[in-house]
Amino acid sequence: MDSKKPQSSSHIPNGNHFDRINYAELEVGAVVSHQSYTLDRESVKKYVSAVKDTSAHPKTNTVDPAPPMSIAALSLRGVVNDLKIPGGTLHIGQELVFLKPVNVGTHLECTAILSSNSVRREFRFIVVDLNVRDDLNDYVMKGKSTIMLPVDISG
Amino acid sequence: MENGDPIIEVIKEITSEQVLLYAEASGDFNPIHVNKEFAENSQFGRNIAHGMMIAATISESMSLTFGESWHHSGKVKIRFRSPAYPGDTVTTSGQIQKMIASEEGTEIKCSVLVTNQTGETLISGNSSVIISS
Repeated sequence: MDSKKPQSSSHIPNGNHFDRINYAELEVGAVVSHQSYTLDRESVKKYVSAVKDTSAHPKTNTVDPAPPMSIAALSLRGVVNDLKIPGGTLHIGQELVFLKPVNVGTHLECTAILSSNSVRREFRFIVVDLNVRDDLNDYVMKGKSTIMLPVDISG
Repeated sequence: MENGDPIIEVIKEITSEQVLLYAEASGDFNPIHVNKEFAENSQFGRNIAHGMMIAATISESMSLTFGESWHHSGKVKIRFRSPAYPGDTVTTSGQIQKMIASEEGTEIKCSVLVTNQTGETLISGNSSVIISS
């Protein structure tokens, strides 16, 4: 999964590659990650090997589908990197909708938008909406991720 | 297919090597997954597997059960309840809860559950798929 340079991470407070993010400053509606990837065969192979997926559908002349969850993993990669998710963060909930099969070799645009940012007790709960579009600009996946960070490291 | 029918069960053994491979494949190098010292000082006391690596077994089960329809119309909503550790054996199962006919086809709603070797729930939730008519 070849990553190209981040396209719009400058709107993240203190979001350059040298600063920690003050998560308390993140505003609902902000685009927290926007990454472009090409779903290359080697990366899909590595993903399938890691999860030991046995459900692969046969490649034909016209289709060579990647496992749907590999698209989800790809979209989360941008969130993890652009939000500089610190150690100690826990992924506590996930919603996904797969809208269209994605073939190996497809170019994907992955966007994550902050939909909730709240504190309960010693933890900050961040919810991001995930959208992935293919090179035809069709949505191939949508989702919602909920992560939990200790307040003492998240501001 | 009818209400109560099981989806295809998926059983996996989780290894440290697999967790490292998943970190490389996903780009998620959170030290709770890949750094022994960090994990030993965490609430878990040792490295844990990525939640999404375990959740992939739900997608595998749905794909094995419903075929390509899962790629076109799959939905899943899950909560990560407890972590999986290297050395665990996880079992993913589920049941058809409801079947709703529409012009698009038949929407099949399922419960999904991932447990470890002691029966502890790691992930619970729901998934659905539309089988075209």
